Amino acid sequence: MAYDVVVIGSGPGGYVSAIKAAQLGLKVAVVEKRETFGGTCLNIGCIPSKALLHASEMMAEAQHSFDTLGVEVTPKLNLPKMMAHKDATVASNVNGVAFLFKKNKIDSFRGTGKVLGQGKVSVTGEDGKVEEIEARNIVIATGSDVAGIPGVSVDFDEKVIVSSTGALSLEKVPGHLVVVGGGVIGLELGSVWARLGAKVTVVEYLDTILGGMDGDVAKQFQRLLSKQGFEFKLGAKVTGVAKSENGATVTFEPVKGGSAETIEAEIVLVSTGRRPYTDGLGLAEAGVELDERGRVKTDGHRTNVEGIYAIGDVVVGPMLAHKAEDEGIAVAEIIAGQAGHVNYSVIPSVVYTSPEVASVGKTEEQLKAEGIAYKAGKFPFSANGRARAMLHTDGFVKVLADKDTDRVLGVHIVGFGAGEMIHEAAVLMEFGGSSEDLGRTCHAHPTMSEAVKEAALATFFKPIHM
Amino acid sequence: MEEISTKVLVIGGGPGGYVTAIRAGQLGLPTIVVEEAKLGGTCLNVGCIPSKALIHAAEAFHHAKAQEKGASPFGLSVASPTLDFGKTIGWKDGIVGRLTNGVAGLLRKHKVKAIAGKAELIDGKSCVVRMADGDKRIHAEHIVLATGSAPVEVPALPFGGPVISSTEALALDAVPATLVVVGAGYIGLELGMAYAKLGSKVTVVEAADRILPVWDPELTAPVAKRLKQLGVEVLTATTAHALSDDQRALVVRQSGSVDKLTIAADKVLVAVGRMPRTQGFGLEKLDLTMQGRFIAIDDQCATSMRNVWAVGDVTGEPMLAHRAMAQGEMVAEIIAGEKRSFDKTAIAAVCFTDPEIVSVGLLPNQAKAQGLEIVIGNFPFLANGRAMSQDDEAGFVRVVARADNHLVLGIQAVGMGVAELSSAFALALEMGAVLEDIAGTIHAHPTRGEAFQEAALGALGHALHI
Ligand SMILES: Cc1cc2nc3c(=O)[nH]c(=O)nc-3n(C[C@H](O)[C@H](O)[C@H](O)COP(=O)(O)OP(=O)(O)OC[C@H]3O[C@@H](n4cnc5c(N)ncnc54)[C@H](O)[C@@H]3O)c2cc1C
Ligand SMILES: Cc1cc2nc3c(=O)[nH]c(=O)nc-3n(C[C@H](O)[C@H](O)[C@H](O)COP(=O)(O)OP(=O)(O)OC[C@H]3O[C@@H](n4cnc5c(N)ncnc54)[C@H](O)[C@@H]3O)c2cc1C
Repeated sequence: MAYDVVVIGSGPGGYVSAIKAAQLGLKVAVVEKRETFGGTCLNIGCIPSKALLHASEMMAEAQHSFDTLGVEVTPKLNLPKMMAHKDATVASNVNGVAFLFKKNKIDSFRGTGKVLGQGKVSVTGEDGKVEEIEARNIVIATGSDVAGIPGVSVDFDEKVIVSSTGALSLEKVPGHLVVVGGGVIGLELGSVWARLGAKVTVVEYLDTILGGMDGDVAKQFQRLLSKQGFEFKLGAKVTGVAKSENGATVTFEPVKGGSAETIEAEIVLVSTGRRPYTDGLGLAEAGVELDERGRVKTDGHRTNVEGIYAIGDVVVGPMLAHKAEDEGIAVAEIIAGQAGHVNYSVIPSVVYTSPEVASVGKTEEQLKAEGIAYKAGKFPFSANGRARAMLHTDGFVKVLADKDTDRVLGVHIVGFGAGEMIHEAAVLMEFGGSSEDLGRTCHAHPTMSEAVKEAALATFFKPIHM
Repeated sequence: MEEISTKVLVIGGGPGGYVTAIRAGQLGLPTIVVEEAKLGGTCLNVGCIPSKALIHAAEAFHHAKAQEKGASPFGLSVASPTLDFGKTIGWKDGIVGRLTNGVAGLLRKHKVKAIAGKAELIDGKSCVVRMADGDKRIHAEHIVLATGSAPVEVPALPFGGPVISSTEALALDAVPATLVVVGAGYIGLELGMAYAKLGSKVTVVEAADRILPVWDPELTAPVAKRLKQLGVEVLTATTAHALSDDQRALVVRQSGSVDKLTIAADKVLVAVGRMPRTQGFGLEKLDLTMQGRFIAIDDQCATSMRNVWAVGDVTGEPMLAHRAMAQGEMVAEIIAGEKRSFDKTAIAAVCFTDPEIVSVGLLPNQAKAQGLEIVIGNFPFLANGRAMSQDDEAGFVRVVARADNHLVLGIQAVGMGVAELSSAFALALEMGAVLEDIAGTIHAHPTRGEAFQEAALGALGHALHI
């Protein structure tokens, strides 16, 4: 029997694509080599990291802010139990995907998928048995894997020198955690362990953390993390990560030149990015082209081979679960003969630290570089009533709009719950809305989101509460 | 008598009044605001802000208690948390103080003169304020009435002694051992739940046959369930009769029963609604057209008398701070010569219970009552990854749309933290979104906001994650 669609990989890109295709009446199979469905995101990414972030935030709140509220406690950590919460969260998520596959009558094949060419996929099971499946359409959704440090050999043992995967399952709170790479994943997992008591040092090549984020945001955010005890070594090129007697050492030198420095760590988390994962997929033999960075080359989600599509972390674009999901939906629609489409200019991104960082659209630096005339409005949470009532006054909202048309081009938020607040900006931008549209929409009081309204008011005229 | 002339005279310094005054000041209009109590009105002093602060503190204590009992799944344990309620109230007062001082500062910054005293209207152009250092008579081209509202009394239970309004409930010396709340509206339940979390034995008495009767039972069920878990007894179809003779209990009668029930009550919080403040300051001299108990206004907040405007609670339902503020902002702009009218499609109502409830636009039964054929999409948080990682999966997001053209008519949600989703809901309605617009807006993963997108997908017949 030939399937209409065979999806290789069951991460957010793959499983969503499969469900959508099945809903559109197509006969679908999914190939997954991992024991459970859900890919990086559900097993070793978004979900377990957010579970630990939430739990550790409860700890931090109990330690630092309860006292102000008149609630006196001495919290104690039970790390195995916290890990059990994380594992339970992962389990309920991955089981949810399995249930959805069943419900949508999607077949699954456990094993490593290989593209044999147009219309054919093989699956090699753990026992080495190979099965061939016919597929009118193939969707490559094999995601990404840990990248390591370019030019430096890193021996991940996932105990002392760990990737994000190991950092999600440490057996005890390290005394000193050195994080190589000041991007989203490093800062999130660094935050988890910092809140639980670790001293955290971040070593980053660029002169700023969260490279690519709005400069104002990154600067303010770094200040807030420093207040939480983070130490930063910026503009630092890591030249070696090695195990030592008491843990490991990280050696780095200033990017601008100068003498090298070596620091001791109990645990080193290398979070310098992820690489597209196409190992063993047989793409070269099948004639599927990759780009210069090893990503599957696509045009409108299609590869150069008829009937083969690719989505998610394995193709160009931000490595985000919801971007993968949206591409998954678009591909399913295209295969079903509909007009699938992804609006790449409105993809929100969130950093789940405390406070959170969220943004959608262009940064101020991008607008400058592109020579677009813009205006900006900013509003601090310190002037927001709900923020005061919840002791979450750090951060601000920044709205960027076209100078002439007032169309909103970007919104950036540092603050508690920023990840939920960013969606109104996404909805607005999908409508091509102006800062006046945003500022004149009635925002419920007292909410943190009123700061979004105030920043919009500040963009086209003046804020009320500042 | 000192005589003062100004362009704009605002009576009342609550959110309606102070926002009118700030905006007028920003627009260069000479403005005076008269406030007899404290700047910030009900909202900042005895309403939204202090209640949310108390709710936040109660939540913190409740969490700590749960952790003591080992009920926390997050791996935190605490040794017998204690509550220093005096400190809690002091903290709350500190926030109120900072915010009301903030309002005073903003008025000063925008060159608005604030006069402390009671304004008594003389006619539609002037008022007198009696003050210790002599009376002042103020003439103005425009008068804006923003006198707000006050708690409604139950004739059989006059305020005083153990019978308190929300105002006193926000400033108690100690957590009462037993508290009876009369009225299961949002104010009664917000405060009742907070005290239950702080340790009171709480009973809620409601005349209607269910809690929060303005909303449908589906929307309020998660709150009813949580009340039960907190040990709050809810007596519906029950009316408060009188205090017992010893003043230590409340006597109630359940409908259909002749027997009376006596419930122990150190305090009885009467929260059966609020009434507009229209008496005692000479309003009758203006002989304005009324709408029931409220001052009648048109879509520009103009009253029946030229250049007399009214904003906020004194103008009717919904009695919400953000409606008052939006009206105030608009009136100032109209006085400054701008063309504006109040055409809000959406004014979100938020109930800060546990879990929170949000409603924007039409409820399903309201849409049906208008003769509309509708589709409904409902997505539960138990299928949302973020909710799982926060270990609070109660509730859902529900979208109501026209069946024929998919125009979104209403959006409701119940769940932890949904207050912050309300702005995106309101914006979607303001933009005239159809289901496809919401379904096609990428929502960041993992966030609770994804449930909004999924509910829209669900209404279209193809939810992905359920
Ligand atoms: C620690 C961490 C935290 C993160 N947090 C967030 C976050 O908060 N929000 C967010 O949006 N993103 C987050 N991400 C990124 C997110 O996980 C990815 O963007 C997302 O998982 C990409 O989805 P995908 O479907 O493209 O690939 P993946 O999720 O990587 O899934 C690919 C799947 O394909 C399988 N596979 C690969 N090759 C084969 C083969 N040949 N045969 C069969 N199966 C194969 C793999 O086993 C895997 O299960 C995080 C990532 C990490 C590491
Ligand atoms: C416990 C509680 C919780 C609430 N929570 C929320 C919430 O979470 N969200 C929300 O949106 N709303 C909430 N509200 C409602 C909100 O407080 C009101 O809708 C809002 O304050 C109305 O603003 P206003 O300006 O119309 O009137 P008010 O805030 O009542 O202000 C009127 C002011 O006018 C003054 N005044 C009256 N007459 C005169 C006079 N003759 N001379 C001088 N001054 C005068 C009064 O002293 C008062 O300060 C809550 C209310 C209560 C009681």
